[in-house]
Amino acid sequence: MRDRLPDERIAALSLQILIDRDKCMGSGNCVFWAPGTFDLGDDGISVVLEPAEGEESKMFLAQEGCPTRAISLWRDGVEVTSP
Amino acid sequence: MMSASLDETVAETAPFDPFELQDTVTGDIRDPYPRMADLRRQSAVHFGNIDFTGSDDPEPPLVSEVPVPVSVFGHDEVVSVLRDDRTYSSTVYEGIMGVVMGPTILQMDAPRHKVQRALVSPAFRSRILERWETELVRSVVDDLIDAFAARGRADLVRELNFGFPVQVIARILGLPMVDYPKFQEWTIGLISVASNWDRAMAASEELRVYLTAVIEQRRRQPADDLISDLVVAEIEGERLSDEDILAFLRLLLPAGVETTYRATGNLLFGLLQHPEQLEALRNDRALFPQAFEESLRWEPPVTVILRKTLKDAVLGGVPIPANSDVGLFLGAANRDDRRYADPDTFDMFRQAQQHVGFGFGVHMCLGMHLARMEARVAVNAILDRLDDIRFDPDADDDPHIHGMAFRSPTSLPVCFSPR
Ligand code: HEM
Ligand code: SF4
Repeated sequence: MRDRLPDERIAALSLQILIDRDKCMGSGNCVFWAPGTFDLGDDGISVVLEPAEGEESKMFLAQEGCPTRAISLWRDGVEVTSP
Repeated sequence: MMSASLDETVAETAPFDPFELQDTVTGDIRDPYPRMADLRRQSAVHFGNIDFTGSDDPEPPLVSEVPVPVSVFGHDEVVSVLRDDRTYSSTVYEGIMGVVMGPTILQMDAPRHKVQRALVSPAFRSRILERWETELVRSVVDDLIDAFAARGRADLVRELNFGFPVQVIARILGLPMVDYPKFQEWTIGLISVASNWDRAMAASEELRVYLTAVIEQRRRQPADDLISDLVVAEIEGERLSDEDILAFLRLLLPAGVETTYRATGNLLFGLLQHPEQLEALRNDRALFPQAFEESLRWEPPVTVILRKTLKDAVLGGVPIPANSDVGLFLGAANRDDRRYADPDTFDMFRQAQQHVGFGFGVHMCLGMHLARMEARVAVNAILDRLDDIRFDPDADDDPHIHGMAFRSPTSLPVCFSPR
C-alpha cells in the first residue's frame, strides 16, 4: 500500500477526493469500483492512493456506491456529484 | 450436489436431499416484478400486507395494536432508509433470524454494530481473500466440474452452484470436510424459520453444540482459519465473546451459502438467455464485474430486507409511525424506471450504477467481495472448460428464475462440447 497524504486530500486529475474517516465503515466498495484510486489501510479504513489513478467516472461510481456517504469529490473548492 | 469427496458421507446419513426443501423456503413465485412495478408507480411506499401470489382476494384486515407493515418499492426511498440507521433499526430481526442465530451483527444497531463489524471484517477484505481464490475456490469448482465435464450436459444448479459455496465457507471457517453435508442441511434448516419452526430450532441447536466445541478447541489451539482469528480479534480493548462468535458463525452459513449459489445461478441464467453477452464475456473476462453487478441488479437473490422505525418518520413524503416494520424491496428498487432505462432487461453493457442487491448503509453485505470472487471463479471455470455452452434444447424442463424472499433458477440444464 502506498502512503496517503496527511489530510487525505489529493489532486486526482482535477478532482479532489475527501474521505471522512468517521463515516467510513471499511466496506471496500470504493476499492471495487475504482481500484486505482482507493485502497483500504491497515485499520480497514479507506485511503486515497498517491498518486491516484483512474477515470473520473469510476470515482463518481465509488462516491455514489459508498454505503455511508464517506466520500466527497471536489472541483475548485466546490463539491460535485455524478454528472 | 455430489462430488467424489462427499459421496461417502452422504451415503451414511439419512437420505436427505436439501434441494427438495427449497420451495418451502423461497415461496413459489415466478415473476413478482410486474406487480412490484405497478405498486411503485402508485406510490414508492405502501401500507398493509401485500400478496404476490397473484390472487385477487383482499387481505384480511389486521386486528392488532401494532402499526401496519410498510413496504418500500422505490430506489431512492430504499437508499434513504438504509442510510438512516438511527431512524430505521435492524433490531427488527431479533424476533426472526435472531431466534435461530442468536444476537448477530445483522440485528445490531450503532454503536455495538460498528464495533462488532470491525472485529469480524478483516477476513472478508478483498486482499485477504486473494489467497483463497487459487488455493481453494478454483479447486472446489474444478472438482465439481470434473464430475460432469465428459458427459456433455449437466444441470449447473444441482451439479455445480449448489455444492461449491458451502465447501468454500466451511474451509474458510476451518471446519472438516466430512461435515459439509450437515452444514448444507443446517443452513436450509435455519432459513426455514418462517415456514418450519421445528426444523429451524433443531438446526440452530445442533449448530450450537457443534460450533461451541470447535470454538473451545480453537481457543486452546489456534489454527489457520477464521474461527481462530475471531477468538483472538481485538480492537481498542473490545473482543468477541463466545456467544458473539457462535451467533456470527450461525449467520455466516446461510448468509454466505444460500445467497452465493443463487447469485451465481441468476448470472448464468442471464448469460445463457443472452448468448451474445455470454460470448462477449468469454472473450473478455475483464467484463466479469459489470456482468455480475448487472445480474445482482436484475435478479438480486435476496429480494426483501427489513427495518423497524424507532421514531416517527417521513419517507418519500409519506409519514410512517414509530414502531412500524418496514420491508425494503431490493428487487423493486433495482428495477426502478426512474433510475434505470429498460429495467427488466439483463444488459451487462448498461452504464454501471450502484445497485442495492448487497443492501446499503452500515449493514451492506460483509461478504460481497467473497461472493464476487466466488462467482467470478465459477463462471471463469465454466467458460474455460465447457466450450459452446448453451441451454440444453432437449432438456425436459422449463428453467426459470423463481421465488419470493430468495430468488434463483429452478434448474440450468445446459449442453456443451465434451472434452
Ligand atoms: C451474492 C451473494 C450475496 C448477496 C446477494 C448478499 C446480500 C446481502 C444483503 C442484502 C445484506 C444486507 C442485509 C440487511 O441490511 O438487512 C447482507 C448482509 C450480510 N451478508 Fe451478504 N450477501 C451475499 C453473500 C454473502 C457472503 C458470501 C457472506 C459471507 C461469507 C455474506 C455475509 C453477510 C453478513 C455477515 C451480513 C450482515 C452484515 C451486517 O449486518 O453488518 N454475504 N448480504
Ligand atoms: S465505500 Fe465508503 S465506507 Fe466503504 S471503504 Fe470506501 S469510503 Fe469506506
